[in-house]
Amino acid sequence: MLSRTLARKVLSRSVAARALSSEAAEAVTLNFSVPYESIYNGASVFSVSIPGTEGEYGVTPNHVPYVAQLKPGVLQIVHEEGSEDEKYFVAGGYAMTHENSVTDIMCPEAVKLDDIDPSAVTSQFEAAKSAYASASAGSVEQAEAQIDMEVNKAMGMAIGLNLA
Amino acid sequence: MSPAPQTTIWRIAGMTYLQYVNRAAGSVRSAVKEPMKSKLAAHGEFSYSAAAWNAGVQGAKTEVTVLGAAGKAT
Repeated sequence: MLSRTLARKVLSRSVAARALSSEAAEAVTLNFSVPYESIYNGASVFSVSIPGTEGEYGVTPNHVPYVAQLKPGVLQIVHEEGSEDEKYFVAGGYAMTHENSVTDIMCPEAVKLDDIDPSAVTSQFEAAKSAYASASAGSVEQAEAQIDMEVNKAMGMAIGLNLA
Repeated sequence: MSPAPQTTIWRIAGMTYLQYVNRAAGSVRSAVKEPMKSKLAAHGEFSYSAAAWNAGVQGAKTEVTVLGAAGKAT
């Protein structure tokens, strides 16, 4: 009988320990960096919207752990609930969300939307389109032209241009 | 359930994700407005010398400045 009570006490204590160790996070801890700069290091934010290759997804506190490869697109950071989101255009990279809501985002390049030049985007897109048409199928030149088209189209969408 | 991964044009052409993402980064860098553009211009550049070794003898050094040539035996 003594051992049964002991066993129940041990069981309830370990259940309590498990509940305490998975405390709900109140904010997303954001680490957002590019090779030359750590844009955010341990910043507490409300949510982040990340452009994954399989679709855009949002990370809020207590999101399930996730790893995503990124496509060229807009990264949106909401610092406080209800505030205006801060947007960056990222060229790609990786984003990892951990169990404690720490989110690491690593991109080779990230720029603010205001820094993007609409005329440069349009001319680059047109140049890439003609390079794509004149390149041979399956070649590296065609792939490079397609990448340029994809990135400039995404940049255009981010600043309100509809390139096709 | 996530959709099946689709092969991309750059995979078919033999490029790696690193080559893809670095080209995308270069595209972004060349589309920004002026003060930012010169600041970011140097990020896409790199160069190093590489030499292949054969039976304990170092071969000729070649300069690598393009991502496509990186990691290839000289």
